Amino acid sequence: QTTGLVGLAVAENPHERLRILYTKILGVLQNIPKDAAYRKYTEQIVNERFDLVKKETDVQKLQDKLNCGQIEEVIVQAENELSLARKMVQWKPWEPLLEEPPSDQWRWPI
Amino acid sequence: TVRPKNEVQQKQLCDFGEYVAEILPKYIQQVQVTCFNELELLIHPDGIIPVLTFLRDHTNAQFKSLADLTAVDVPSRQYRFEIVYNLLSLRFNSRIRVKTYTDELTPVDSAVPVHKAANWYEREVWDMYGVFFANHPDLRRILTDYGFEGHPFRKDFPLSGYVEV
Repeated sequence: QTTGLVGLAVAENPHERLRILYTKILGVLQNIPKDAAYRKYTEQIVNERFDLVKKETDVQKLQDKLNCGQIEEVIVQAENELSLARKMVQWKPWEPLLEEPPSDQWRWPI
Repeated sequence: TVRPKNEVQQKQLCDFGEYVAEILPKYIQQVQVTCFNELELLIHPDGIIPVLTFLRDHTNAQFKSLADLTAVDVPSRQYRFEIVYNLLSLRFNSRIRVKTYTDELTPVDSAVPVHKAANWYEREVWDMYGVFFANHPDLRRILTDYGFEGHPFRKDFPLSGYVEV
């Protein structure tokens, strides 16, 4: 059995891998302030997916319920989300705007 | 004939624009949706890498594909060059445009660590406009001749150039 995608090997035990990744993401998210929109929305997404992974043991049905392509793609997406969360802790994008642009900067037509 | 209005897509793009603006208020100065249903994010230049990585990695916005990287020269502004990134999401089949500004002398962060495709596009923007990209692996001329001086796409560069051929 294959994923059908070039370069993505079939993941044995995807539930375990997803469980580890989602717990790690939630752990990283604890480091950012509670009122940040990024933390709110990401926790919502991760908790939804985590509940689906915990409830559904069949791989095929889990793929259909998540509706996000193959399980291996979901794993890649979770890894991306983890690295993004770690970078967000450093960048802190929830602070107010850095600098206003000059007043004619975004006016179109000039 | 007039293009039929797609209200559903317009509403979805507006909602997504507000979502992104809520998550990244530090860098996003403005969000607009054109009448042809194109979403544009207007960014402060320090926020290029955070915004592009967010759009690439976040689950609700998997814009994995950099379709285009260009610049626009508007000489009358204080920051004359406007760098434009066009991104495409294959998962959600949608496009987004990210715009930043810079003047002739301020370097801009390179997008190559985020999207490998930006390499040659940034070389072209450097060659044609003179916008310097910091942390670019190999920034050199790509379209002009080897000893060429000047940046051809700027508005003050004459159409037939300075050198007679």
